[in-house]
Amino acid sequence: MAIVAIIIRRLLKAARDRKAGHHHRHEHDWSVPVIDACSDLDSVFHKWDPRLKIFSILVYCFLVAALTKIIWAFCALIISLAAVKLAKIPFRNTKRRLMAMFGFLGMFLVIMPLTVPTQPGDLLLFFQPIPVPFNVRGLLVAIRIILKAFAIALIMEPLLNTAPLPVTIQALRHLRVPDMICQMILLSHRYIFVFLNEANRMYTGMRVRGFRQKTNLATLHTMGNFLGMLFVSSFNRTQRVYEAMLSRGYNGTFPVYTDFFARPKDWLFGIAWILLGTGLLLLDRTGAFIIW
Amino acid sequence: MTGPALLSFGETMHDLATDVEVPKEGQNLFQLRSLSFSYADGHRALQDIDLDIFPGDRIALVGQNGAGKTTLVRHLNGIYTNQAGSLLYKGQSIQGDNLIRARRQVGILFQDPDDHLFNNTIYEDVAFGPMNQGLARDVVDERVRKALERVELDHLMFKAPNNLSLGQKKRAAFAAIMAMEPEVLILDEPTANLDSRQEKIFDELLLDYRGTLICISHDLLFLYGLCSRAVVLDHGKIHHDYSLKELVSHRASLREHGLDFTFRFIDCCHSSESHDHSKESHEHTESHEHSENLDHLALSQSDKETAVRIITPPMESVPDEKSQVIRLENYSFQYKDGTWGFKDINMTVKEGEKIAIVGENGAGKSTLAGCILGVKQGSGKYYFKNDLIMHSARGELWRQIGMVFQDSSDQLFCPSCEEEVAFGPKQMGLSPLELEKRVTEALALVKLSGFEKRVPMNLSGGERKRLAIAAVLSMRPQVLILDEPSANLDPRNEELLLHILHDLPVTQILISHDMFFVNNSSHRTVVMNQGSILSDLPTSDFIEDEHLVGHQLDYAYKNVCGREIMKMQEAVENGG
Repeated sequence: MAIVAIIIRRLLKAARDRKAGHHHRHEHDWSVPVIDACSDLDSVFHKWDPRLKIFSILVYCFLVAALTKIIWAFCALIISLAAVKLAKIPFRNTKRRLMAMFGFLGMFLVIMPLTVPTQPGDLLLFFQPIPVPFNVRGLLVAIRIILKAFAIALIMEPLLNTAPLPVTIQALRHLRVPDMICQMILLSHRYIFVFLNEANRMYTGMRVRGFRQKTNLATLHTMGNFLGMLFVSSFNRTQRVYEAMLSRGYNGTFPVYTDFFARPKDWLFGIAWILLGTGLLLLDRTGAFIIW
Repeated sequence: MTGPALLSFGETMHDLATDVEVPKEGQNLFQLRSLSFSYADGHRALQDIDLDIFPGDRIALVGQNGAGKTTLVRHLNGIYTNQAGSLLYKGQSIQGDNLIRARRQVGILFQDPDDHLFNNTIYEDVAFGPMNQGLARDVVDERVRKALERVELDHLMFKAPNNLSLGQKKRAAFAAIMAMEPEVLILDEPTANLDSRQEKIFDELLLDYRGTLICISHDLLFLYGLCSRAVVLDHGKIHHDYSLKELVSHRASLREHGLDFTFRFIDCCHSSESHDHSKESHEHTESHEHSENLDHLALSQSDKETAVRIITPPMESVPDEKSQVIRLENYSFQYKDGTWGFKDINMTVKEGEKIAIVGENGAGKSTLAGCILGVKQGSGKYYFKNDLIMHSARGELWRQIGMVFQDSSDQLFCPSCEEEVAFGPKQMGLSPLELEKRVTEALALVKLSGFEKRVPMNLSGGERKRLAIAAVLSMRPQVLILDEPSANLDPRNEELLLHILHDLPVTQILISHDMFFVNNSSHRTVVMNQGSILSDLPTSDFIEDEHLVGHQLDYAYKNVCGREIMKMQEAVENGG
């Protein structure tokens, strides 16, 4: 049944692709979602003073990270989804980010039940012929980690995607984050596209001369050369960018400044977020829903 | 709440303590004495440079690839500090306050616009310089808008640089420099890889510029209209410092420094003056015919031979009975964002044919090449040697079609030239003996024999381009695609490349903005515009086409320059 379902799904997708005139199924997608693509929309998050937004959401994230019960982690995820909706960010982008995360976190669902140390009271399931017991507590821990990770990753969307990155960086600077780190974030975001473009062109250059990735030494050798050359060209690029900045009067500080003005409702919104996180943590720690 | 984004500056601005005296009339702006510079690897880039630059000078800084031009101009802005000798800007050495002053007053446009566009919007990039100059917010805002308006990018002000085409990026980087209203403007290959329309925009902007101009370019026809003084660098030394007219009038001097670009305008100017003449001489052999065409230029015998060998227009068209190698029927390509790369293309390429694809930046030329090569898949029918190319066959096209990219660095990733050239054949599973044979053969074809153990990264631009060609030729492709092969090459390397391509017995598809190159290396020219084919003509007819202007391919201005230079050379060579 599962195989039939997979085949039908693939056929449907192929038909959709054809209908849309797309034939890119086998092409590499090197695109990176722009971190502030939705900064020109209008929502309560867009109007919020970036300094208060960063501070209160980061505090909220720490509180969510401290949750120990699945039910409250799930609630945090729902709150994050609501925040994304409130910020008017298209769920398509968010889904891409979550899928990328799930590719890594999904492994926890398999690994943790098989590897957590057994404690008294643990429910152990045995599946023949697997000799290792499947620990249900491990599964619950994995689910909790995934829920919290998703909740925090999702809340990053309203945090970073509702103001232009330079404004967010400027707010970080107001929050006493060192200049050097702020500039590094700004330049990394700008040049990640340039480097990816370079990597893409170089990889295409390899493919048109017949390179296909295989699990052998030759592939390792070629990939080593590829990464080495990419590193060298990135290093050269960094040097040239720095020189271009110097040539235009750069003296160690980005002269990009933004005026911030926190209104009372910005403060109230910030306090509300922190209270929300605190509330979740209190419920988590009061003993209700012991297992979940 | 955020206030208007950007544009204020604070306590970090550095105010200059004192004013430096502005040079009086006749007093030099820059004074370089015995200036030398060596890179960390020991390579000596500049040796004992003595140079005076005066306010209002318009200098063409020319020389072969690797002559030290870029290194020299980076000293003028204080990016490199002088290791030996002295360098004065407005009478003072470039350090301390005068260094800050130099960086704010001397604008330098790098060759790669991505080096200049490091912010998240074009607005911020253009504002970066004026804000570093310590200007007030409203002044900065005014300058940014004015600069972007002049380069016709005001409608893209708040776009991210990565969304712009190469031509737009070049103009944005230029606006970023011009917004600083520099007293001295230094440009490093400003028009490389640009189509004629974009080149014209640059030309007009620079003609309006009233400050001191220093321009590095291999395109002497472009420089001819802009500059009055020529400084020729050769192996890190100044070989000539005289008027540009003097430089272009002396072919011997141009040839000595690898700058002889006259092989280009022999051709560009023949169209109106010697066209009838070439028509008359159809019965003669090709060489004899062109030898006659060159008579009026009073060239030396060796120059004639060189020119005759290269200049072959109109190339004889490929006989109709030759089989079709490539056939595209209603072929289209759409990007993921929904925009069309090109639409409903119908095109054939015959065996042994050399075709050129021309058109302005963004016309869809490279996308079409990507589809022919098999790295992109569009919709419609694509036949290679009468076989319909479906997905599985697309993955095997690399065995028959090779491509040399615009930027050679994109396809050079091995630690030695030998490995680089052997990479493709190795993927084909050839024996070590055959590999060795092909490497030797390919390197010899591109005149790089003896370079086997050299590191590709350390080669000059021209050598790297030839190595990239060798890396493809070693796979013995049936079709060779060349994307802007002459970009960033000095005339000597360009001439050598023309020789190599002329002698190659493979079907060639050339993508280029360089009409001289197109004219000399193609039988047929396909003009693309906004993703469609506008015309498909024999190259000789295309060059004579009066509608080039309408196709954004206006070369009339350059032809006028070419004719002027030719007359001057004739006068000099006749002892006038």
